Amino acid sequence: MGKKLKRALAASSALALSLGLVACGGDSGGGGSANNDPGVKGGTLNYLQSFLYESSDPQRIYYGVQLAQWRRTVYRGLVAFPMSEDPVEGTTPVADLATDTGTASEGGKVWKFTLKDGVKWEDGTDITCEDVQYGTSRVFANDVIIGGPNYTLSYIDVKDYPGPYKATPAQQAAFEKAVSCDGKTVTFHFNKPWADFNQAAAGMMMVDPYKKSFDQGDRSKWKVLSNGPYKVEGGNWDKNKGATLVRNENYDPATDNPDQLRKALPDKINWVINGSDTAGELFNDRLIQDAGEDQYAITSARVTPQQLPKVTQEPVKSRYLNVVSPFTDYLVFNHKKLTDPKIREALAVSVNTEGYIKANGGDLVMEHADSIVNPGTAGYKANDAFKGVTDGSGDPEAAKALLKEAGVKMPYAIKLSYPKTPTADKSMAILQESWNKAGFKVTLDGQGDTYYDVIAQPDKDSDLMWAGWGSDWPSMMTVIPPLFDSRPNISKTTCGNDYGCYESDELNAIIDEAANAANVEDQQAKMQEADAFLGSEYAYIPLDNQKFNWLRGSKVTGFTTTPASSSYPELGLIGVSQK
Amino acid sequence: MWAYAARRIVIGVMLLLALSLVTFVLFFASPADQARHACGKQCTDEQIAVTEKALGYDKPVLVQWGTFVKGMVTGREFPADPELKKTHPEFITTCDRPCLGYSKTNGVTVNSLIGEAAPISISLAVVAVVIWLVFGVILGIIAAVTKGTIMDRGIVGLTLIIYAFPTFFIGVFFLKFVVVKWGLLSYPQYLSIAEGGVGGWLTNLFLPAFTLALVYLASYVRMTRAFVLESLGEDYIRTARSKGLNSRTVLFKHALRAALTPLVTMTGIDFAGLLGGAIITEQVFAYNGIGKLTVDSANAWDLPTIIGIVVLAGSFVILANIIVDICYALIDPRVRLG
Amino acid sequence: MEHFLSVEDLRVHFKTADGIVKATDGLSYTLDRGQTLGIVGESGSGKSVSSSAIMGLHAGTTAQISGSVWFDGVDLLTLSQAEMRKLRGKEIAMIFQDPLSALHPYYSVGKQIAEAYRVHNSVTKKQARTKVIEMLELVGIPQPDRRFDGYPHEYSGGMRQRAMIAMALINDPSLVIADEPTTALDVTVQAQILDLLQNLQKEFNTAIIMITHDLGVIAEMADDALVMYAGRAVEYGPVSEVLTHPEMPYTWGLLSSVPDVTADTDARMVPIPGNPPSLLNQPPGCAFHPRCVHSSKVPGDLCRTTLPELLEGPRGGGHLTRCHLADPEQIYETQVIPEIAPMQAEER
Repeated sequence: MGKKLKRALAASSALALSLGLVACGGDSGGGGSANNDPGVKGGTLNYLQSFLYESSDPQRIYYGVQLAQWRRTVYRGLVAFPMSEDPVEGTTPVADLATDTGTASEGGKVWKFTLKDGVKWEDGTDITCEDVQYGTSRVFANDVIIGGPNYTLSYIDVKDYPGPYKATPAQQAAFEKAVSCDGKTVTFHFNKPWADFNQAAAGMMMVDPYKKSFDQGDRSKWKVLSNGPYKVEGGNWDKNKGATLVRNENYDPATDNPDQLRKALPDKINWVINGSDTAGELFNDRLIQDAGEDQYAITSARVTPQQLPKVTQEPVKSRYLNVVSPFTDYLVFNHKKLTDPKIREALAVSVNTEGYIKANGGDLVMEHADSIVNPGTAGYKANDAFKGVTDGSGDPEAAKALLKEAGVKMPYAIKLSYPKTPTADKSMAILQESWNKAGFKVTLDGQGDTYYDVIAQPDKDSDLMWAGWGSDWPSMMTVIPPLFDSRPNISKTTCGNDYGCYESDELNAIIDEAANAANVEDQQAKMQEADAFLGSEYAYIPLDNQKFNWLRGSKVTGFTTTPASSSYPELGLIGVSQK
Repeated sequence: MWAYAARRIVIGVMLLLALSLVTFVLFFASPADQARHACGKQCTDEQIAVTEKALGYDKPVLVQWGTFVKGMVTGREFPADPELKKTHPEFITTCDRPCLGYSKTNGVTVNSLIGEAAPISISLAVVAVVIWLVFGVILGIIAAVTKGTIMDRGIVGLTLIIYAFPTFFIGVFFLKFVVVKWGLLSYPQYLSIAEGGVGGWLTNLFLPAFTLALVYLASYVRMTRAFVLESLGEDYIRTARSKGLNSRTVLFKHALRAALTPLVTMTGIDFAGLLGGAIITEQVFAYNGIGKLTVDSANAWDLPTIIGIVVLAGSFVILANIIVDICYALIDPRVRLG
Repeated sequence: MEHFLSVEDLRVHFKTADGIVKATDGLSYTLDRGQTLGIVGESGSGKSVSSSAIMGLHAGTTAQISGSVWFDGVDLLTLSQAEMRKLRGKEIAMIFQDPLSALHPYYSVGKQIAEAYRVHNSVTKKQARTKVIEMLELVGIPQPDRRFDGYPHEYSGGMRQRAMIAMALINDPSLVIADEPTTALDVTVQAQILDLLQNLQKEFNTAIIMITHDLGVIAEMADDALVMYAGRAVEYGPVSEVLTHPEMPYTWGLLSSVPDVTADTDARMVPIPGNPPSLLNQPPGCAFHPRCVHSSKVPGDLCRTTLPELLEGPRGGGHLTRCHLADPEQIYETQVIPEIAPMQAEER
């Protein structure tokens, strides 16, 4: 789901804030309702989107929502996440183009997939093993194919491979050994174990097939050669306008798993893009209005805070959905300054997340978090250190006692840094107020656009920093290592994503064990251990899991969200009523 | 006159060269690391270097600028990679002269980006100009001839109030209420004349063009009013009246002829400015014209597109100035071009 | 006998935020065909305002006009706008002081003259053009067919004024109001223009009101002279009378401020001390008294308190004067002439 999605979300919420449209803590508690009507085939769905894609080339797609929605419509993968609302089932890949979910061997260093019979491109040709090999190789041509996720570069066991366009025969041969084809079976050879590789393959399109004869390098940036139930009318995605998806007659549902992966109910999807700053709000205005064609519409734009009072009441309420998103916000300690775990614990036990969430717009916008790992992540487990701690208004007396134990003078001065917005100012002031009652003296430090660059600096004077994270695929491996493993993060000039400059050999050892785990279960167990360790160290304070608010038109069926859809409306289930 | 135009065009071309150079320098003076941005978060330094090379940002600024200028004259090929051209000629995008560059962000030449966006901005500008000129001049004349009355004060006051509202606000208001809430108009979505006919083209342009025109309306009303009043006080108006001409002829033939001349200049310059994109209006209405392209490419640090737009907008302004000067010479016999 | 033009008690008042400006206050005069009336006075004395009132050019302003203007037996002030428009340019024409600003810069001179002709005559463009060229020739513009298409800025000052005269006379008007027609021109051109006007007057038997501040022009052109001060006539009579036997100190002042090119080098030009009064708050009594060096010769406070009537002086002959001085002739002979024209005094 990653940074790109985060960027898109940040942009849209910044707009809501800049308009001065902040909700005032509604606590109607309305979770809305999923519409689980099984739906019927046919009709036209209108998909209203308020941001622009960066490419329609599978190896260049990085937006989480796009990866999720396109997996359901035009680009099938070797494996895919099922459309289950269950956090475990929904984050466990199932077979898609491949016959099974892949076979790992050599301790997770070798992965093998076999393509199903009868899977075809929209032009009627078969999808071959060589197509998977070619698609995988394109990611290496990072002078042409830029913008997509490229985890494979550090895993695939090949050296100095420049991608298929400029490779010498020897280089190409070396790659085709690392990603080898045997009939319909493709084998990936990695230089280190990759236990959750099939999750990455399901969530992203780095190893999706690509038809060589269709490739025109950068000129293919907006071309779509579909292998899913829909194809893009005209074959080109219009960056600014979107496109119409129509049935792909060369798609055979018999080769697919429609109930689990894509029901493909509407005959046609009008994918309308409007890149204006106000588009998201207007789309939701239209859905509230529910007139004409908008009755058959959904949007990937979230309901803005000031629209919430309207949508939580009938008649709109029945068309409204409130769900937990894959984004978790947390506070991280500067471990160079707050070296005493007692002080960190004192801050943790007295954090007023109740007030903080209220100031942010209440429980329609956020829920309490009890780990830095989002509940939508496979293997998520509440962190014992924060259970019953970060779900209330804090315990100032406990904090004072801890500070006394630590033997520091009260009030203890703390500098709290955060990216400045009107809402953030309000919610941070709430935290400040309750900490000041718990023996601290908190200084607020709201910062501008360069916030994340500033808090990455090793010599900053902040004690506590606000941050948010959403993972690239729902594995804990994409949460704890990137945020707390000191080795890839910390250098002389930066602490990277490890904003607190946290360094622990003990944690790094657990991470290594997880990385080398041969299977996902072992890996998840290790990651849970890592999070528990971070909790015992009070390395961070979880604040909230962000919630999404969605609307649909009255004629839309199957409206729900899944972990696979990044908590966006699950396109694979959606249909339109013919009545 | 032709010699004059030629000389002005030569100066204009030099200005554009300077303009593009300044834009290059400013772009590279900024701290944003375009290559890191494009490469993604898992990139090593080596991969970033490859990306930088792929984007063409690795060469010295002056060399890049020289390549740009040369491309304007001779055309270019993208990517400029002889090796790739040998192995995969079908990957190469040809950009005919005057080549403004290639946008990696969009995967097409800047020429074709502008080619797609320009008709939208031009349509918007044309319709907006017509609206604000018609209303601005008519209201300005009415205000001038009814000077001091309630009518005059009403017109001037109302246009000032409209002027005080930001375009953003007016545009969003129209969309939120006129379109979505009240359903009075359908959601405007640009249709070319080829797609929607003149009717479809106009209906869809009306709201954004009207929004845009409101920005200019107040100043055109007040200027028309002032120019007409000034002109009505001229001696030649007394002459015209003493000839026995009726007041309509005096106003329309004698007073307006002189009063509207300065408006020609202003309209020309304002119109040219709009051809370079009406940023806020296009943004609010999601009209993918030059203005929105400007914002999008600035957000994406898409240098080639930014340069292309700067050069395009610059040439519009320069050209408009030349045309306005020539028009002036045609309108006012006293003006000689030299 | 009924005069061709008879202005009776004409008042033109302007309402302003500060009060009422009495630009013309009780002006009366007469004029016959073929005759010239010279109206003289400083700027702001009301001479232009009164003639604009005759033309009906104050319509649409705040001007309040009263009195009557009998023109060929019709009171112009009672006519409607439309009726007045028919007379303007046709029966009554006007020549302005600065022909450059009085001509529209964007239209050719010929076109502008033709417009004046066509508005009162239903003729084709071609006919109008022929007529205009004829007129241009008449006023002495060389190559008139080529000059027709010239623009005002392409004409010299004298040529422009000739063109203005052509425009004024093209409809053969019976009354021409010439408002400082030569002020903007240099001396030699001035003389040519005045000659031209005189010749045309003879040819068309036109009545001319010549507005000027130049007594030389009056002497050359006018039959009658009317001296205006602060919106009122202060001296009025046949030119020979007014200029040779002036009876009002203001007229003396005007005479003494004319440079006499024929006079000796020691002839002095004596400017009138002080400034013209504000028309807004006129002093009571004689409007000229604050500037009048002779007011002490009038017994009591008369000059300051009582406005003198415009009355026929002792010399008779229709020579009217507005002054309290008992024997102005004597003062003029003995005190004024020696000062302004010593040679002339000796001759006497």
